[in-house]
Amino acid sequence: MKVSEIEMISPQTVEECLYHLGEKDKTSRFIAGGTDAVVRMKDGAWLPDTWINIKQLDSLRYIKEEENGIHIGPLTTHTDIVHSGLLQKKADVLTAASKEVGAVQLQNMGTIGGNIATASPAGDTIPTLFVLDAQIELTSLMEKRIVPINEFFVGPGRTVQAQEEMITNIIIRPQTENEIGIFEKLGPRKAQSISIVNVAISLKMGEKSRECLGGKIAFGSVAPTIVRSEKCERMLTINPLHDEAIQDIAGAAWKEVMPISDVRASAKYRRSMASALLERGLYRLMKRWDER
Amino acid sequence: MKDIHFKVNGKNVSVNCAPTKTLLDVLRDEFDLTGSKECCGKGECGSCTVLLDGVSVCSCLVLIGQIHDVSVITVEGIGLTSNMDVVQQAFVDEGATQCGYCTPGLIVSSRSFLDGINHVPTDDEVKTALGGNLCRCTGYTKIMKAVQTAARKQLTMEETTN
Ligand SMILES: Cc1cc2nc3c(=O)[nH]c(=O)nc-3n(C[C@H](O)[C@H](O)[C@H](O)COP(=O)(O)OP(=O)(O)OC[C@H]3O[C@@H](n4cnc5c(N)ncnc54)[C@H](O)[C@@H]3O)c2cc1C
Ligand code: FES
Ligand code: FES
Repeated sequence: MKVSEIEMISPQTVEECLYHLGEKDKTSRFIAGGTDAVVRMKDGAWLPDTWINIKQLDSLRYIKEEENGIHIGPLTTHTDIVHSGLLQKKADVLTAASKEVGAVQLQNMGTIGGNIATASPAGDTIPTLFVLDAQIELTSLMEKRIVPINEFFVGPGRTVQAQEEMITNIIIRPQTENEIGIFEKLGPRKAQSISIVNVAISLKMGEKSRECLGGKIAFGSVAPTIVRSEKCERMLTINPLHDEAIQDIAGAAWKEVMPISDVRASAKYRRSMASALLERGLYRLMKRWDER
Repeated sequence: MKDIHFKVNGKNVSVNCAPTKTLLDVLRDEFDLTGSKECCGKGECGSCTVLLDGVSVCSCLVLIGQIHDVSVITVEGIGLTSNMDVVQQAFVDEGATQCGYCTPGLIVSSRSFLDGINHVPTDDEVKTALGGNLCRCTGYTKIMKAVQTAARKQLTMEETTN
């Protein structure tokens, strides 16, 4: 298949998308913002018979609060997320992550659905979706099912999404009044860089000084899929989060991650950086909490 | 092959080509709008930046089949030698261009950035706004100055017209 021979259709409804996706005699793949899809088409890695263009599918571009959580349409761009008042207030960890995706142009183009479906271990919104207990809605012509985020990813670039399924909704838990979050990322360059290590943290704080009632910590890029750092999470509530406690928690992080060495960084470096990013994130969170 | 209708710099246009051709290639090959440059072809350098319905994107990653009915503004639509935009004039005045390969993309990104703010941006704000545009010649100092000069000029112009 040559690039110039690939066809493109632009369905106007989800049903139409699913119908085309189900066609057996042709290979097809969605293209949303195209920031992963076009790069891989140019590399020759993704050459479907047909691109199903969903960029214009505005019915799947929304951010709204419902009874069971905040619903985010897969076609929502990173820029939409950064500018959403609702998410700034009730999912600050996600807005912080979308702000770190690529640079302005990439945030304008790239969608949250694309970020999830590409399933890169370095995908920046993904760890935040773990700390916000996201549920991914997958729809096919036959059924609709909801998959919890911790069951969604199988390995680098691999998810439980079947060929005939489309991501049609992302549901996240709104943060509570006393909950604050942060996203920290290490990349080779400030803008436009793929994470070497990233971490999403969300903490519920108590009445007493720096008293943490519980929290979630998820690392990206340090294992084939996202790692929830349960040991560090348990340590959050032992002592108030003053400097010494923060250093102890961060020190435990390196045992929780299982990074590989690759062209971007060695495993050893990633381990140290996982600890360093967690430490920095906790310092910054506590500073923000003190100053609120 | 497909017929695709859209707008370029305010004019209705159409092309007949493979829907997987990039917007950048169409602008350069079919419309002779060679301001937008291809450098990396992968979204990393910003030299191909254009506006789609007012929003800045890398035209090297936009497939032409995806922009039916969309309005595209290229650097040529922002201003030409005869009617330069304040941003372009500021780049000239501050000497913010050397080889010039990055300049069209920077002009489009800067224009889009200044459209969204109402003050003279700090260095950090400019850095974040232009983080997706690489320049291998200038070292960025003059570029940042040019954007701030343009912002100042724009504000005084707005004051005098109000
Ligand atoms: C220069 C550059 C820098 C980048 N920097 C970052 C970064 O810092 N952090 C980061 O996380 N990512 C980064 N990326 C990757 C990319 O921009 C993001 O992953 C983005 O969110 C992808 O969204 P998209 O809409 O462009 O996806 P597309 O490229 O359109 O699609 C990606 C994949 O998702 C599938 N897909 C899209 N929508 C759906 C859906 N609704 N249902 C099922 N499948 C779907 C497509 O079929 C395709 O397989 C970068 C990319 C580039 C080119
Ligand atoms: S050529 Fe498009 S970003 Fe470099
Ligand atoms: S002036 Fe040469 S790359 Fe910017």
